[in-house]
Amino acid sequence: MLESLLALGGLVLLRDSVEWEGRSLLKALIKKSALCGEQVHILGCEVSEEEFREGFDSNINSRLVYHDLFRDPLNWSKTGEALPGGPLEALRALCRRTDPGPVTIALDSLSWLLLHLPCTTLCQTLHTLSRQDSCHGDSSPGEQVHVLGLLHEELHGPGPLGALSSLAQTEVTLSGALGQASAHILYRRPQQRPSHQTQWFSILPDFSLELQRGPPLESQPYPDPHTPSMDPTTHLTFNLRLSKKEREAKDSLTLPFQFSSEKQQALLCPGLGQPTSHIFYEPDAYDDLDQEDPDDDLDV
Amino acid sequence: MAAAATCSTGTRSTGSMVVAASRNNVTSFQRRGPRTSGTDSGCSRLVSISGTRPSVRNGQLLVSTGLPALDQLLGGGLAVGTVLLIEEDKYNIYSPLLFKYFLAEGIVTGHTLLVASAKEDPADILQELPAPLLDDNCKKECDEDICNHKTESNVKMKIAWRYQLLPKIEARPVSSSRFGHYYDVSKRIPQELIEASKWHGFFLPEKISSTLNEDPCSLNHGYIKLLQFIQNIIYKEGFDGSNPQKKQKNILRIGIQNLGSPLWGDDICWTENCDSNCSLTKFLYMLRGLLRTSLSACIITVPTHLIQNKAIIARVTNLSDTVVGLESFIGSEKETNPLYKDYHGLIHIRQIPQLNNLICDVSDVKDLAFKLKRKLFTIEGTWVQALVRNY
Repeated sequence: MLESLLALGGLVLLRDSVEWEGRSLLKALIKKSALCGEQVHILGCEVSEEEFREGFDSNINSRLVYHDLFRDPLNWSKTGEALPGGPLEALRALCRRTDPGPVTIALDSLSWLLLHLPCTTLCQTLHTLSRQDSCHGDSSPGEQVHVLGLLHEELHGPGPLGALSSLAQTEVTLSGALGQASAHILYRRPQQRPSHQTQWFSILPDFSLELQRGPPLESQPYPDPHTPSMDPTTHLTFNLRLSKKEREAKDSLTLPFQFSSEKQQALLCPGLGQPTSHIFYEPDAYDDLDQEDPDDDLDV
Repeated sequence: MAAAATCSTGTRSTGSMVVAASRNNVTSFQRRGPRTSGTDSGCSRLVSISGTRPSVRNGQLLVSTGLPALDQLLGGGLAVGTVLLIEEDKYNIYSPLLFKYFLAEGIVTGHTLLVASAKEDPADILQELPAPLLDDNCKKECDEDICNHKTESNVKMKIAWRYQLLPKIEARPVSSSRFGHYYDVSKRIPQELIEASKWHGFFLPEKISSTLNEDPCSLNHGYIKLLQFIQNIIYKEGFDGSNPQKKQKNILRIGIQNLGSPLWGDDICWTENCDSNCSLTKFLYMLRGLLRTSLSACIITVPTHLIQNKAIIARVTNLSDTVVGLESFIGSEKETNPLYKDYHGLIHIRQIPQLNNLICDVSDVKDLAFKLKRKLFTIEGTWVQALVRNY
């Protein structure tokens, strides 16, 4: 579910495109974290602080800690306001922060950071950021660090996208149809099969998230019933059918043991008075019969 | 044994000085110990390392990968001194499992482990290893034996009295005497096994300071540190024969996770033409040189699906000895193919080394698929289910 995006810790990647922008979803998630009482740090690179804070009411605005990289990214004005050291130093300062409690870090945009920093450095820093909960001793769920990163997927090639996806715990790809936005969410839990889900949603003007059923007139994309299902017997490296000649050759093969017809008859006719036997099988504790264990979904 | 027993009885009755000399021995035939400086007895000494066995084909010393099915496909096991490269599957679910099987096998057989990772702490990786399946009957008998051992030592044997003086041999089935064990993936390895084992961890964020500026032409800084760490361990603990070892020889199992990913500082995963194009290949070359001169075996997992330049993948494959590729069906069109519906992915044995040989041991089976059941990771040919369904 879209609401539980922040339940798992780690990096959440919001991939948006020109048609379906993701900053409003980012702000909606920030608002939700702020209302939950978490600390929110925002590294703003693409839009100005005023524009970002627009639409939030004052109590949320007071909880947001904004690190501004938009106004003076290269620190030319040499005043104390701009962040010294550039984006890398700002990220590292976020890593080193030692306040206790759950925190959400929103990176306004990872695309901007990717264009200004080498990808490996960014990946390593993101990894350090999202691993912080285990640095502080035991990681109770309340102490998790959530990193939200906005990524404009049309700006980058498959390389950086793949590298960042492999680092992310959750990946949300925004798309939509008929004026309705949808989020395709991919959860990559460690050591488990990734699960994915599509959720239609809309963002209200005060940046609260509203989940929708789906656009009313649009037909669900079912697999076309006219396409033939894949025939498993094509492109096999072994032979499943025998040609006539091969079958004759197989039948005429002499068997390695003597099997006369009388013996065959004797074996075929069941003896008189033999009770037919049944086998009752009860699986034992050590038998692993189930292929799909319903308990696998429990996170025990 | 009967001949030896009568011989000893004979010497005792004559009361020669051999009796005094052989007070601690049962028989007067004394085995000459292995010469400490001799290398010709090296072969017999190597074979006695626990958890290894010589290959039946070329006599090469093999260790188990932890999965007996995979051992069979690789021709008996992984040769000591070689690199096993695992090409990761897309979502990195099954390759960590093979990695953990390798390490768990090392713990069960008493080998020394070296775990290197840039993503997870090696201590956490070791906590997640699968539990070995020792037979429960054996375990029960072991415990009973220990209890009965004390009470039976005073019982005199009536018929087999000649055997009374023989030293008592522990009849406990030692798990490290077998080659290849089975593991239960749903359980964790018991803590005491981890504590009893010897392991070294290399976690990149701790070893490297992030403010260092790397020289792009030379090897990646993280790789240099890792190579130095491995070389240090090999030298200090004598896996390369540099210190004359009084104690039993042992194998060093090295596991490196996610090599080549951006977390190691390598940029082959995000750009096609990168400056440090040959970092990973140089690292593999040097690593193989280190391995060949020491008693160690290495497993490496590489996210080849992320590497942009296909030439690098080919070079990495050529520089490793054994290459196994995992291809999972998640998210691909093969998921709906009815031929593959019982399996979770395909396993490709891409390369098997030719060590001291003219031909390599390629198995004839080509269509191999794997399946992760609740407790076990199985590998079988895809034709098995196809035949079952068709006939």
